[in-house]
Amino acid sequence: MTTVAEVAPVTPVLSHRPWWRGKLVQTAGIVALMYLAYRAWALEYPWPQRLEWTALAGHLDDFQTWLIDEKNAEDQSIVFALFEGFATFVDNLVNWFDRLLLWLTWVGTTVAGTLIALRFGGMRAAVWVSAAFASFALMGLWEESMQTLALMLAAVGLSLSVGIPLGIVAGLSNRFMRAITPVLDAMQIVPAFAYLIPVVVLFSVGPGAAVISTMIYAIPPAVRITALGIRGVPVNTVEAATSMGSTRGQVLSKVQLPLSRRTILLGVNQTIMFALSMVVIAGLIGGGGLGDVVTSGLYTNPALAILGGVAIVVMAMALDRSTEAVANRTDPAHRHLTEARRKRLRLATVATFAGIGLTVALAKVFGAAAIYPETATAQEWLLEKVQNWLDYVQDPTTFVFSVTEPLGTFIVVHLVQPLLQFLVEAPWFTTLLGVAAIALIVSGVRPAVTTFAMFTAIGVLGMWEPAMETFSQVLVATGLAVLIGVALGVAAAESNAVSKVLRPTNDVLQTLPQLVYIIPFVYLMPISYVPGIVASVLYAFPAVVRLVERGVRDVAPDTVEAASAFGATRRQVLGKVKIPLAGDAVMLGVNQGIIMVLGVVVIAGLVGSGGLGYLVAQGLQRGQFGLGLVASLAILAMGIALDRVTQASRRSRKEGIE
Amino acid sequence: MRKAGSVDNKEGSMSKKVGARLTLLIGASLVAVIGLVSSGSALGGAGQSCGTVTLNEYGWPGSTANTYVAKYVLEKNLGCTVKITKITEVPSYQAMADGKVDAVLEDWGYPDQFKQYVTKQKTVAYVGSNGLLGHIGWFIPKYLLKQYPQFKTWKGLKGKESVFKTPESGSQGTFLGGDPSFQQKDKELIEALGLDFKHVTVGGYSAEVARVSQLIKQRKAVIFYWWTPEYLNAYLNLVEVQLPPRFKGCNDVGGAGGDVKQYRCRYASVPLKKLFSKEFAQSGSPAVKVLRKFKWPNNEAQNLVGKWITVDKLKPDKAAEKWVKANKAWVNAWLK
Repeated sequence: MTTVAEVAPVTPVLSHRPWWRGKLVQTAGIVALMYLAYRAWALEYPWPQRLEWTALAGHLDDFQTWLIDEKNAEDQSIVFALFEGFATFVDNLVNWFDRLLLWLTWVGTTVAGTLIALRFGGMRAAVWVSAAFASFALMGLWEESMQTLALMLAAVGLSLSVGIPLGIVAGLSNRFMRAITPVLDAMQIVPAFAYLIPVVVLFSVGPGAAVISTMIYAIPPAVRITALGIRGVPVNTVEAATSMGSTRGQVLSKVQLPLSRRTILLGVNQTIMFALSMVVIAGLIGGGGLGDVVTSGLYTNPALAILGGVAIVVMAMALDRSTEAVANRTDPAHRHLTEARRKRLRLATVATFAGIGLTVALAKVFGAAAIYPETATAQEWLLEKVQNWLDYVQDPTTFVFSVTEPLGTFIVVHLVQPLLQFLVEAPWFTTLLGVAAIALIVSGVRPAVTTFAMFTAIGVLGMWEPAMETFSQVLVATGLAVLIGVALGVAAAESNAVSKVLRPTNDVLQTLPQLVYIIPFVYLMPISYVPGIVASVLYAFPAVVRLVERGVRDVAPDTVEAASAFGATRRQVLGKVKIPLAGDAVMLGVNQGIIMVLGVVVIAGLVGSGGLGYLVAQGLQRGQFGLGLVASLAILAMGIALDRVTQASRRSRKEGIE
Repeated sequence: MRKAGSVDNKEGSMSKKVGARLTLLIGASLVAVIGLVSSGSALGGAGQSCGTVTLNEYGWPGSTANTYVAKYVLEKNLGCTVKITKITEVPSYQAMADGKVDAVLEDWGYPDQFKQYVTKQKTVAYVGSNGLLGHIGWFIPKYLLKQYPQFKTWKGLKGKESVFKTPESGSQGTFLGGDPSFQQKDKELIEALGLDFKHVTVGGYSAEVARVSQLIKQRKAVIFYWWTPEYLNAYLNLVEVQLPPRFKGCNDVGGAGGDVKQYRCRYASVPLKKLFSKEFAQSGSPAVKVLRKFKWPNNEAQNLVGKWITVDKLKPDKAAEKWVKANKAWVNAWLK
């Protein structure tokens, strides 16, 4: 569940016998036994009801009822007033940002953004930012984009002000790190749908509640990456500083923080991306802006929903590229400034803000509008183009459909359905023991115990059957995502051209709201689980690509040279040296892939995947809080088990090599 | 006047001051106190002028039609400023209790929420029907009746379930279940009627529309959970399959377990509700009187506006204007 984890340097020593051969055979043996049990006792042993804690959902519902009654009571407790006060504070913060962006006028906002990007990020950042503002204007979504930008400024700012300090503590203290990791896991895996109702009860609706639910999801990467940065500072540097007599505070502020500054800024960057992926969900409780454009567009005007999605992506990419540029610039390794250059930079800063002030003044004098004028947008034209494309997608007589429909049917009939039937109908005890045994073989005793405990918990929560339904789809989706991700990752590592094309594609897939691109897939493959699986694969494979690409690229150059010197062809170098040595990165890719697939379970449920995702959605949308939370806990349990198994298998592999 | 998120506009000027001060004051606790004061002051005085009315729009075209027709009338005739929020169903009850949403014009009934907020706490007020009769049922495309006229009633489905076979259902027929936000009892009903259907969930509203309309375009056999009023019914030419008559104590809320016989009847037809926040209901705003009378003549009227918005791509405010202008006499009755 590490958002960014280092890929450990790989020692170029291979044991004679491939590590996996034995394990693969053993795993196959277990699966064969499970299959025999399934053939013998299919449907005879569903999870026994007396092992279910059915009262839990009811207790949770009672808790919710109590909470709502207390909240709306005449003699409301002071605690609620504090929550409401905080929400009002955030509401006001967001509204203040929003009004500021509008007060500057659209000309002023564009110029301000561009100049600030130019000063702190450089030319490329400035081009990205100005292009983003131009596209908001052309799409006719200026007002909504500014609302979302204001929401994001508040959400990211608050997430960082909580996440970075926690990350610093987690970087310094192992005990704190261990304590906080499961909390961060839960924050990332428990679907937002499960906690929207309590958030609304405590914080009401509106920008404040939207920011708070966004923070729950965006804080973990800030904590994790900051901790990683602090831990990445070389030990001898810290020791040197300590031996020179620095206090702990001095070591932190003069050594550890400056040296991890680049990583922390990378954390800022990830926090932004995570926050932007919440725009649509935050819209459900009053976030407004582009989130509303997407949700209401989906049922009244899908073309408009697509434009809204594009605006979110553009915003994400502009923010990503400019924070990355800022991060690169502040790298201490490249930052030995002379006094003259310092002076010049200070002057540039003054010029930037003077330029902004002048532009705003001029804009006010010439009466520029707060919102980019509706008459000058290309919205109508764009909507028509998108609609043409949608009409094509929705036409069941096209060539594309004649390919996608059978493909979807194939996936259902030959991949998902058999696996689903196997997992749902097999006796519960063979499945439980089977997954634990596989965990034992693949990664060791502790993960096996965790897996056993977590799958037992799923059963006790009364979620065995829907969880098996979800599990089968998670396995298929992760398999496909890893397959695609490894292939593209290796290609990207070998060819810069491929890498250049893939990067923006990955960004789009990570930030475009899934519902926007998944509804067209419902038209193309109108078959049960397929759209959900497509959504999961599209969301998860970019992470695999990124990790695999980095892993393959990081293989020690001297190893590659040695292989070439012995006369290995490029293909041999790739197949026999680079990919085996990047195995660790591949396993990390599998790990990330699973976590991301689990992150889309609810969305998948909303496009026909059923299982736990549908139950979580039902929890929010029918007000069955208990049911939704219980189903979310089952997702969390599954996530923890799969995470520990794949993470530990990396570790055991590493030990095997060393 | 710009939309200012969901903060009530009554506190607009106050929050502006707070906002300006914020740059200086980072101490959250202090601001929290100010926030309290400002939200407290918002509860005060509500005069006879209309001011701002916040209507909440839900995720289906009919709700868009209600909201924009009401908005048009309130803004044109009373000079109100109407703000539209898009908060999803269950949280919108709490939004009304908090006074952040003034009114919801089409509620399909959430028994637990209704009991808690309307009956018990009285923080949300039920103010009558919006003139629509909501009805859930099993629907099929009309072309199926040509080949299988017996599909008019559920009895005709018996033994013919395999007509609805899909790759995922094996030898059974596929029944497409509805959006997670709607009341459903189809699993129980299928069992109680002894039909050989596999119940498959198709996900949310948009996904169900996509799936069903694609299958209908291919003229396939499809049976699914659907409802009226809904603009798509005429557009896709759907007919309802008759289910067994209702009996006393028949249950429409599935998933509770127990004997499936208690579900063996068609879904009830329910008048769709209008809900106000208690604060708004007591505010004396002229908008309250109008919205209390707000009513559609029939389901078809709303379907028409829904169709203008979704199929003909008319902007919602234009669609509302068109309908109000064509139905002057009806709308004038709300204003008396």
